[in-house]
Amino acid sequence: MLVRLAAERATGALLRDHGTLYLVDGRVVHAESPASPGMDVLLTTAGRLPREGWDEAVDRAGAHRAVGRFLVDSGRLRDGELEICHLGAVFDAAFFALSPTSGPTRFRYGVGHWFGTVRPVSAEAVERETLRRRELLDAVWPYAAVDTAPVVPRPAAPGQGVGARRRAQRAAADGKRTPAELARFLGRPAFHTLLDVRRLAAAGLVETPLDAAPDATPAPPSPAYVPVPPVADPDIALLRRLRDALEAHL
Amino acid sequence: MPGIDECLMEAMTLPGARGASLVDWNSGLALGTAGESPVGDHETTAAETAELARAAAEFDSFTASADDPDGAQEAEGQPPVEDLIVTTRAGYHVLRFVRTSFDSSVFLHLWLDRDTGNLALARIRLGDLAERLVLG
Repeated sequence: MLVRLAAERATGALLRDHGTLYLVDGRVVHAESPASPGMDVLLTTAGRLPREGWDEAVDRAGAHRAVGRFLVDSGRLRDGELEICHLGAVFDAAFFALSPTSGPTRFRYGVGHWFGTVRPVSAEAVERETLRRRELLDAVWPYAAVDTAPVVPRPAAPGQGVGARRRAQRAAADGKRTPAELARFLGRPAFHTLLDVRRLAAAGLVETPLDAAPDATPAPPSPAYVPVPPVADPDIALLRRLRDALEAHL
Repeated sequence: MPGIDECLMEAMTLPGARGASLVDWNSGLALGTAGESPVGDHETTAAETAELARAAAEFDSFTASADDPDGAQEAEGQPPVEDLIVTTRAGYHVLRFVRTSFDSSVFLHLWLDRDTGNLALARIRLGDLAERLVLG
């Protein structure tokens, strides 16, 4: 549907279960999803923009659909920063909005978003990137269960480095927050947090729920699928081949 | 002052510049590209350079310093690694981390021809560009 809307250079809002994409002339100008932190969270939680600065921009420029422009013109943000932050938020929300669901997809012609246009992206690029991201998650650690479970840190192995950025994430993981909650808490994009959590899980630095079955295997979990003990550098390709071989014998 | 495209176009005016891009090292997404890619596809190059940048940005050996062993600097939005340089037989690659006023993970990648490129100049100018992209 997105491809068709792009071809007919449609303007409006594409509404799906997990989010909304806004198009102008068939190009994606904005996206939002309940699963991903919005620009306000990204800029005020982990950024230097005070909450009042954001509220002022929405109050004064929201009606003209030029909030992004206002943030730059009022000196709160630079052009480059606005583009970096907005593109990040758009691709982040699009990842969730375009996730495969059985729910309805509707398009409302003419509907725009109050944030305003910053840097339109082709619908094709958004779709391609969304697909790439889905594959990337599974390539890193094919256990989707860690995406929604509370993040429980595990101690690092002797000599195993964690890195400053991940250290902040592990510090925020109190055993209750899920990746989506961590993203909001830290003011980081939700997909980045999912990816970090999968990387940490793959490195054994975050628990993988014991009943987790690898993706695309609806079969009940068997001992063969129990996550392996922490390995600093798991050979994912080998694990996948093993899994495929085991499945072939079911 | 410049947005992403202006910044990349300016990078392409450097002697020997063959390709430039702004990449998110956490996800591997190219936020903007200009010129060519060494493998003919900017998205592949973005994903590959992102892996390299991520390793540098995350390994404690590069990020810890004597007065800042816990990487507290980075928590304030200051990536401790400034740039990465890869030299190949045919070219140079300079990856310059960009500091923003919010939590981000982006860098500029400039690919230079080995014969016509000037690595020292490119490194300095890319640093300027990374700063002006976010400071105006």
